Parts: sequence; structure tokens; C-alpha cells
Amino acid sequence: MIHRKPLIAVAFMAPALAMYLVLILYPLVQGLVLSATDSKIGNAGNFVGAKNYVALGSDSDVMRALGITLAYAAVVVVVQNVVGLVLARALYMRPRIRQLGSTLILVPTLMSAVMAAFVWNSLLAPDGAINSLLRSLGLSTLTHVWLGDPSTALWAIALVNIWMFSGYSAAIFLAGYMNLPAELIDASSVDGAAGWRRFVSVEWPLLAPATTVAVTLSLLGSLKVFELPFVMTNGGPAGSTTTLTMLIFAKIFGGQGSFAYGATIAFLLLVLVLLFGGITQSFLRRREERI
Amino acid sequence: MATTIQTTQTASREERRAGRRRPRRGPATLIGDVILGIAVLLIFAPFAYTVVTSLRPASDLVKDPLGWPTNLTITNITDAYSKMNYAQGLFSSTIVLAGALIFTIVLGSLAAYPLARISRSWATWVYRLFIAGSTVPIFVLLAPLYLLLRDAGLLNSYAGVILTYTAMNLPVAIFFYTSFFRQIPIELEEAAAIDGSGPIRTFFVVLFPLLRPVTATLATFLTLSVWNDLLVPLVFLQDPSLKTVMVNAYSLVGSYTLDPSLLFPAALLGVAPLLIVFAFLQRHVVSGLTMGAVKS
Repeated sequence: MIHRKPLIAVAFMAPALAMYLVLILYPLVQGLVLSATDSKIGNAGNFVGAKNYVALGSDSDVMRALGITLAYAAVVVVVQNVVGLVLARALYMRPRIRQLGSTLILVPTLMSAVMAAFVWNSLLAPDGAINSLLRSLGLSTLTHVWLGDPSTALWAIALVNIWMFSGYSAAIFLAGYMNLPAELIDASSVDGAAGWRRFVSVEWPLLAPATTVAVTLSLLGSLKVFELPFVMTNGGPAGSTTTLTMLIFAKIFGGQGSFAYGATIAFLLLVLVLLFGGITQSFLRRREERI
Repeated sequence: MATTIQTTQTASREERRAGRRRPRRGPATLIGDVILGIAVLLIFAPFAYTVVTSLRPASDLVKDPLGWPTNLTITNITDAYSKMNYAQGLFSSTIVLAGALIFTIVLGSLAAYPLARISRSWATWVYRLFIAGSTVPIFVLLAPLYLLLRDAGLLNSYAGVILTYTAMNLPVAIFFYTSFFRQIPIELEEAAAIDGSGPIRTFFVVLFPLLRPVTATLATFLTLSVWNDLLVPLVFLQDPSLKTVMVNAYSLVGSYTLDPSLLFPAALLGVAPLLIVFAFLQRHVVSGLTMGAVKS
């Protein structure tokens, strides 16, 4: 009967609200203030207005990291969700393999990025398993210093990201599949819709809610990717894997201690997350409503 | 609500029956089964490879990294155990995880209760404020949070990290608890009130136990994200005696970069506690990961 006792209601909310205000809202405002200063190593610094924000546009490091982050997110979102969807449909169609299969493909998701990075750094090493495998298959020409070459390092990291979370995307799509009304699937097969036809006109539209979640999560996750490039390449070679988060971390905790500028780049990331997250959400939600 | 549950149950039962009834399994389905099986095994393979490699002697690994394991040993694992200060890391990680779990679950469910029951506009705004918090990436708070914890004397303390995780995860907790509370009939509270139970007693004795499914799901989700996180403890727990499993593991990278006979067992030790816990909580793992994927 808490709704009749506003004082008790407030008491219930107070601890969570206090924690939220002190540890999220206050730092958010402080970050905005910080980004309008020239603070180094956390010292107060002088007020410089929008100078840091203006500097972002002409900072080639920031623009490069922005491009890297967007390209990475685009590849990961598309490939991870396509692989996840294909896996989910295949598992849905095969009840005998479904249980075991969906458990096995989730194992990479349970591993931390640090652990995945260890395993893949070794697999992708010049003398690692991937190159040995290629050599033993007579494909020596395809061997590569995957993480040491600026043209492949980012995509090697994207591959690890896709490997880790395709099973996760598949689990989300499979949950959507399991929720499909059986009558509809039966009716559509009676009408002769099978295979690709049934997927396009029956399953895919009905999977709209699952698609919204899977796409949004992979998008936000890949825009904020940090641990994989941090552990696998530390932003190298030649800055080719320096994402926005890597740059923020390096500015704040690297030698320079540019707290103000790091906070400024962080707001660029926030805008990106809100913008792309908002666009995707509203697009996908509208799609859900049309169905 | 009750009717929806019933229809989905009948539907899945029918569907299961239909699946069993499927009469002919031609060669095409068999090929499909095989391709899917191979795909699943390929995804699982790096993990299996990690386990096998961890158990092979370093000398065998140098000769043939992909070879079939002939000699098995646990030296690598015991070696990694001491080099990554595993016992100490396990202690830190467990304290941080336990603290974050308790605070997030208790504070989140307490706040969600009035937010679900009060339909006044101020409550809606408080709810929206909480939910908006989930869109803020930790990177935006990194610099100011570091300064805040420093000034509060909470750098290099478990409390600072636990508070950070709690605040960051409260939006998720409140989102799920609020939608679950809305499904609990209000008559239950009225009955408790007639029996003379106050709001606090009603919450802890009547309502909180009913939240068990969401709590289990949320706990799974939190365990994964807190246990596996590197950034927060790396920045806020730099004292060697406080480092978590992930930070200790990360420290190995600098000194022994690519040695699989060290990094693979380290990776295995890092996930082992999670795998053990999840073996017991299996059905909550999938629901924990797919939280909110399906509208219900």
C-alpha cells in the first residue's frame, strides 16, 4: 500500500536516488565542467569555454579514432547479427541440436574480453594456430601477421568481437523464434511457404522485437569497445586500432594526464551513442509497430 | 497476463509435438544438421583449444601448437596460478562482485517498488531519470569519477569500486524490477496490510521473495559484467593487494606477451569460477543474457 504513503515511498527510493545523483548525475555535470577547462592530471585548470570542443574537429587523432570506431561498429553490427540470425534459425529448425548447440555457442560470451584477447592473440600470432593451419592446408600465401599489420589488425579484433558475441545475438534471436505463434508457422507451411519465402514474409517481420534488442546491443557494445583493442594491440600498430574509448583512456591516464580533453572526447562518444542509439531505436521500434 | 502465459505454453507444447512428429528426415535435413553441428563446434573450438593447450607441456607446444595432446600436465595451471596471484585476485573479485550484487539488488528493488506502484507524474520522471542513466557510457564519467573517488578517499578501496558498479547497474535493475512489480497483483499488498503488515515488512516478507526469477536473471547478468570487467578495477584499484582476477591476468600481457603455456591457463582460471557458478544456474544464464529480448 506504498502508493498511499508518499513519505515511505520516498524513503524506499532515497538510497538508490542518492547513489545515482552522486555517482552518475554529478560526475556527468562535472565532466561537462571539466571539458570547458584546460585541466591536467585533475588540477582545477582555467576556464576555456568551448575551445576543447572546437579543437576536436581539427585533431587528426580524434577524427581518425572516430572513423575507426564507426567502421568497426558497422562491420560488427552487420556480421554479428547476420551470423546470429542464421545460427538462431538453424537451431530453431533442429530441435535435436537446439539445447546443446545454444549452450555451446554461448561459451565465448561468458569469457571476458581479457581472456578472449589472450586466446586470440595466440591464435593470430605469426607462428600461431591460424597460420599453422593455413600452412598445413597448403595455403601459405594466406598467412599473415594479423595483429601486426595496420591493414588487418582492426578487422582481426572485429573478428574476435564477432566470435565472442554471435552466440549472444543468436540467443536473442532464438528467444524471438521460440516466441513465434506456432499457429502462424503452421498456417504458413500449409499455405506452402517454406524456406527463404517463409523466412522473408513470416519469420523476419515477427522477429522485429528481437531484432531491435540484438541490433541495439551490438551497436552500443561496438561503439564502446575498449578491452579487446586495449589488450590485443593497445591501439597499435601505428594507431590503426585506436578507437575513441582507447583515445579517451590514453588522454586521461596516459603520460599527459589531459583530464579535460579526455572528458571532451568522452562527450563526443556520448553524442555518438545517443545519436546512433536513438536513430536505430526509433527506426526499429517503428518497424515493430507496423507489424 | 494469465491468459498470455497459457497461450504461449500451449503454443510451445504444440510446437514441440509438431517437432517430434516431423516424419521424414531426408538427406537435405541431414546435411543441414551436419553444417550446423560444424558451425557450433567451430565457435566452441577456441575454448576447447584453450583447455587442451593449458594441459599440454610447454615443450610439446613449441614443437606442434595444433598437435593432438599426448602428454598432459597441470604444471601450466599451477604456474599461471602463482604468476597471476590468483588467490589474491579471486578474493578481490569475489568481494567486489558480492558487494555490487547485494547493493544493486537491494537498492534497485527497493526503489522499483514505489516507482511501479505510484502513477503520479513525479514518479514517472524519477523513473525516466533512472532509465536515462543506462545510456551514459562509463567513459564519460571516467575522469570526473576518478577525481570524485580521489577526493572522497575511495581510490584503491573496494567501497569505491562497489559503489561505481552499483550506480552504473541501478538503471538496469530498476528497469527490470519495475516491470516485474507491475505484474504482482496489488491485492497481495492489501491483504498483507489488513493483516497489519507495514510497507517495509510487506516488502521484505511478501514481495521480495516473489521477485526471485528477476533477481536470479539480474544476478546472472551482473555477475558476468562485473566479474569480466577490466576498466573499473584497472583504474580505481591500482594497489597490488587489491587487484581483481582480470587486472592480474592483464598484468601478465606486458611481461610474457605471447606464451600460450601461460596465457591459456590464465584465461581458463579467469573463466573457471563463472563456469562453475553457471553450471548450477544454467537456465538463468540464457534468460540473464536475453533479458528484455522478447516483449511479454
